[in-house]
Amino acid sequence: MINQKDLRPKDLGRSDEQLIKLESLMELKAPYDAEGMEPPFTEPKQAWREKYCASLDGYVGIDKLTRPQSKEEEDEFVRKFLRGLEKVFTDANSGVLQPFLLSFEYCAKCNTCSDACHIFKATNSNELYRPIFRSEVLRKIVKKHFTKSGKLLGSFVGADIDVNWETIARLGELAYRCNLCRRCAQTCPLGLDNSLLAKEIRKVFSQEMGIAPSPLHEKGTVNQLKTGSSTGITKPVLLDTLEFLEEDIEELYGLKIKFPVDKKGADILLTHNAGEYMAWPENPIAFAILFEEAGLNWTLSSEMIGYDNVNYGIWYDDAQAKKIALQQMKAAKDLGVRRIIIGECGHAHKAAAVVADRMAYGEDKIPVESCLPLLWDLVKSKALKFDPSKNNFPVTLHDPCNVVRQMGIVQPQRRILKEICPDFREMTPHGVDNYCCGGGSGFAIMNSMNFAEFRNKISARTKFDQILGAFQDTIEQVEPPKYVCAPCSNCKGTIRDILEYYQATEKFNVHYGGLVELMVNALVSMKKPFFEFLE
Amino acid sequence: MSLSILAYLAIILFLGLSAYKAYKYAKMPLHGRMELYPVPKEQGHEYGGSYFEEVEWWNKERKVNHMAELIDMLKEMLFIKKLFDNQRPLWWLSYALHLGIYLLIAWTVLLIVGGLTLLAGGQVSPSSGIWGALIFYLTAFTGLSGLVLATFGSAMLFLRRIFDDTLRKYTTPQEYFNLALLYCATVSGIFVWINDLTFSTAREITANLISFTPFEVSGLLIAHIVILFIMFTYIPLSKMSHYVGKYFSFHKVLWENEPNLRGSAMEKKVEQALARRSTNSWSAPHISGQAPAEE
Ligand code: SF4
Ligand code: SF4
Repeated sequence: MINQKDLRPKDLGRSDEQLIKLESLMELKAPYDAEGMEPPFTEPKQAWREKYCASLDGYVGIDKLTRPQSKEEEDEFVRKFLRGLEKVFTDANSGVLQPFLLSFEYCAKCNTCSDACHIFKATNSNELYRPIFRSEVLRKIVKKHFTKSGKLLGSFVGADIDVNWETIARLGELAYRCNLCRRCAQTCPLGLDNSLLAKEIRKVFSQEMGIAPSPLHEKGTVNQLKTGSSTGITKPVLLDTLEFLEEDIEELYGLKIKFPVDKKGADILLTHNAGEYMAWPENPIAFAILFEEAGLNWTLSSEMIGYDNVNYGIWYDDAQAKKIALQQMKAAKDLGVRRIIIGECGHAHKAAAVVADRMAYGEDKIPVESCLPLLWDLVKSKALKFDPSKNNFPVTLHDPCNVVRQMGIVQPQRRILKEICPDFREMTPHGVDNYCCGGGSGFAIMNSMNFAEFRNKISARTKFDQILGAFQDTIEQVEPPKYVCAPCSNCKGTIRDILEYYQATEKFNVHYGGLVELMVNALVSMKKPFFEFLE
Repeated sequence: MSLSILAYLAIILFLGLSAYKAYKYAKMPLHGRMELYPVPKEQGHEYGGSYFEEVEWWNKERKVNHMAELIDMLKEMLFIKKLFDNQRPLWWLSYALHLGIYLLIAWTVLLIVGGLTLLAGGQVSPSSGIWGALIFYLTAFTGLSGLVLATFGSAMLFLRRIFDDTLRKYTTPQEYFNLALLYCATVSGIFVWINDLTFSTAREITANLISFTPFEVSGLLIAHIVILFIMFTYIPLSKMSHYVGKYFSFHKVLWENEPNLRGSAMEKKVEQALARRSTNSWSAPHISGQAPAEE
């Protein structure tokens, strides 16, 4: 084990059983600054150390990265990685070549980006999580193996790293210690993006070596391409679920609503993260209530992948991302809708509207919009009638990175909240300067071994601190209830987990949910509160 | 004579290699979108907004504010604004170096202009009319301040790298070399011109270099010109060519949010990009279609 203060990028290949151990973390705001308010660190099991790569910081993110049984396997692993790494620089990677090369070549090591990173901050500036640490390891490996200068001049140009199984496996794990939130890239004077390098490492593991966390790959994109959804929900299950929800709506709120499904030629195809149907059915219900009351011409799709807008591929595998995106476009095209409206899922926003924007052209492309401007339009135009006093409790807003920093959708959601929540307060910082929830780039659904602890204690720490900050005036009183509005499934998942991990709901009455739920709760037409915590 | 050739060659190589680097980046294939807000050309850029904030954005006329983009670009180029905003202590040093370099570029141009004036039979001195006086004072000002700032900046950045625990871990010997090279270039300049604070001799030498006129040279001057030659050739080959990279990373990556709309120029580019077949491909079973050997 090495003291993190002395850690250098070239140490990644050292033979220590565990490179660093996390001990000190950023202090949280009251009441979590008191002793015993936070669950302690746990030790990784010996069996994990033997089977996986727990040798970075004790956490295991990639459950498919297992230790080799023989020297041959070890060599093969290194060989495959290097072969994949070489391809990153070729036309196999043309979709990111220019941005990647710029970030790879030009880093001035000015260290401006470090302080922007919530993970680095949460660990009290632990060297391992400095945004350029991982980038520099990658540069060293590339220099050593693929550049003339590296071969000729060696350590003079930084090609001074030992490349063995441990180096590469740790680098793979380290690529999953970055949320790909791109906050660091906003501060770089040269416009460089360390997350691009982290993502390329993930891609080499997946696209060349076939290694990726199973929640993203097997249970994620592979499952989605096979069954239609990463949740495993098939068409018949979806149709059944919608029926149940219709019954629920009638029973709970006395409303007769039929989810429009596969309505040809509708104006709007609304797509949800299918996880909502299982974890937060109130979200698709709220959308239906709002859209029906506003009289929109909309539909859901029950066709293959048309009912699940997630695309985990954008976090680790370009090929999977493209397959899914094209299938989603096809579902919309087959229905003949005018536009696709993405529900409250941040990465699905980016995947469909930004990442997939250049994956097809002409007839195959149906315009993609975010639900947020449309919802604001419904508020602004008074198509819906609200009674803000129904939302008379403190509400704060989490900005999903994908929606805000990466798409520039900043105002509509705040305008809605300012209109319907009398006690709305911003987090600090917010908007395009927001911090990631800590669940970005797959962390929200990665729960193998002890990875959830990394998320709850470290990657989501800054967000939890921001939530505490937004509610400082009332946090220590149980009443009133406090609500974190997170218009994104993955952010919601992460926030659900931190509220549970820190027992913030139980102790301090902090709740979370989407934006449409708040809207429905404030509808004049609703006879009773939409939120259980208000009953 | 050979010094003239060296001087011309240095400038040609610097410009040529920089242009080649820019060309290499420019002809890279169309990449997927990865803009990062705020994007200055967007109407709501003050808070980081974009056209995605509009209902039916694809159906509306796209408003692009080129002026705002230009202003942001100039702020970055002239003041290194991001560094100023995000890491002030380093900005002072880095800006000293960069401002010094800008001044030295202006100084070089002024020396050439002054040299040409001399060759054309004109005079450059405080008492030789507006043109001559202007060149005279501007040359002296840019040269002196440029040399001082660039020397100070490169030396301080070098020292900071050595004494800052974090920076030291990430700095390769080559990166120290880069700063040392800049430092040597300016320090050798100071030694050469220390007795010529108005740069009158420098101007005459420039005139001689321009016109291939032989003149008496000191060993120091030869050393200075050789260092300059090495520096000018090396910069575009090294990552000090970030003046090229920075253009692309902002304009072609972070601020590039051109939507692929029906009938747009972007649509054509996408069509062409998608038609291209790559010569390399990935080997994981789910991509290559081949089952892994061990299964
Ligand atoms: S992308 Fe986000 S998580 Fe990753 S290094 Fe940058 S700031 Fe940190
Ligand atoms: S801010 Fe940019 S140039 Fe500076 S260290 Fe970070 S990535 Fe490198």
